Amino acid sequence: MDPLALKAGQHCLGHCAGEAAIEIAYGNVRATPSHDCAMVVTGAPTMLLIDNEPIPTKSIQILGAGQSLTIGPPSEGIYSYLHVAGGFSTAPIFDSRSTSPREGIGGLHGGYLRDHDVVPLGDSVPLIDTYRANPGLCNMEQRAVLTLRYVPGYQYDELAPALIQRLNGEHFEVTAKANRMGVTLNGPLLKTGVESLLSEATCQGAIQIPPDGNPIVLMKDRQTMGGYPIPGAVIESDCVRLAQVRPGQKVRFAACTPQEADNIRWLEHHYAETRLR
Amino acid sequence: MPFTIGPAGDTAIRLSFQEPPSPHLTQQLLELQLTAQAYFLDALSDSVVGYATLTLFFMPLSLQRDQVTAWLENTARSICDSQPVDAEHNKAAVVLPVFYDPAVAPDLLTVADDLGMTIDALITLHSATPYFAYATGFAPGFCYLGTLDPRLKTQRLSTPRLRVPAGAVAIADQQTAVYPCESPGGWRIIGACPVVLFDLTATPVSTLTVGDSVRFEAIDEQTYCSLGGKL
Repeated sequence: MDPLALKAGQHCLGHCAGEAAIEIAYGNVRATPSHDCAMVVTGAPTMLLIDNEPIPTKSIQILGAGQSLTIGPPSEGIYSYLHVAGGFSTAPIFDSRSTSPREGIGGLHGGYLRDHDVVPLGDSVPLIDTYRANPGLCNMEQRAVLTLRYVPGYQYDELAPALIQRLNGEHFEVTAKANRMGVTLNGPLLKTGVESLLSEATCQGAIQIPPDGNPIVLMKDRQTMGGYPIPGAVIESDCVRLAQVRPGQKVRFAACTPQEADNIRWLEHHYAETRLR
Repeated sequence: MPFTIGPAGDTAIRLSFQEPPSPHLTQQLLELQLTAQAYFLDALSDSVVGYATLTLFFMPLSLQRDQVTAWLENTARSICDSQPVDAEHNKAAVVLPVFYDPAVAPDLLTVADDLGMTIDALITLHSATPYFAYATGFAPGFCYLGTLDPRLKTQRLSTPRLRVPAGAVAIADQQTAVYPCESPGGWRIIGACPVVLFDLTATPVSTLTVGDSVRFEAIDEQTYCSLGGKL
């Protein structure tokens, strides 16, 4: 859900072959490695303990065989990433080590990790001192109202101007109905009067409006096809910000042109590249 | 044929035809998809055919949106202007066996009731004609098939089921489909198909693909079970 946090951890450990990390929502994980390894946790900031002793949270740490790593609940944000040098050696499917729990594909057994699962570590990497500093790439700036910039498209021109005005002018609230598939918002109802349309491809960030009028911003694990009206799609960098905010957060939508979206992407890409040098 | 081209978020371009879906339109979308894949190669991260749309997902840092838009506009125009090739007639229909029985189809009785016909008449209508595969998606191996006989037109369930079993044969509006794996779903279930439609170890992984012709064939309980169907 937070590619920048993933990239930051991969950078720290010198991972450049797409090594997997474990995505953790809301922290509270304990893990013990079978051999000494270097590790770092990125994304939503959490308290870290090794054998119940607090350790610095932002730098690479050596976790000894049999030691117990505790990742506490995040102080802000939702998704943290546990990276271990050498990655994990679960079987790739379609060239990916991702897990798709809805379809039961990938990962350890096609699903969320459970208590007592044993995740195979990648090849043991010699503990080296060339690990790099955490570039601190972060999307968690706290704001009273998070602005979600979106590119108008799909049914934008066919929807009532009053509805678009509402979408652009009012505040919405992130609900607890939020996961890797989508984030449901609450606010002024956006009644389109449309039950369903001809099915077509959805994209990340698509603002899908079901008949009940509560918009859903589609995220990484969205269904590939959809049939609800869509006035546009939130740009990727704001999708990441949205992924990391908790229920209750206020958001507003701001339309931007495709060219503005491209400029934002170039700037942020350039910024990340300089931090990762 | 009029069409519009516009953005689908910040990394995709969407081509949408104004005309109603038809096998002919789908063939043109497929031709356009193949041409795009051959032209843009790895700069295209994905491409998806819908009922009347083609969405091209591009790698934003290696392709510029204006480039994709201009190419799409020109190519779509020339494909529309060219003589249609009736590729769909070259394909043999995929035959899917279906056990139409209340034991595996919780909505069969109510659907027949709602439509004012006998179960036998419903089965005959549903399995009489071959269907065209308009789109894949929703779940791996799921294929949107149409067009259903207007006499079989039904509403979706007002509250979708949380669990529709794998193999469920269902209808909604003028579409029909087989659920390849267990998933939530709001279509009405009228039968069960014992054929595995999505298998990670098979090539291709999905039995059905856009442009296919699909026909259903009624089977009895014994055949259903011998083909691996579960009651």
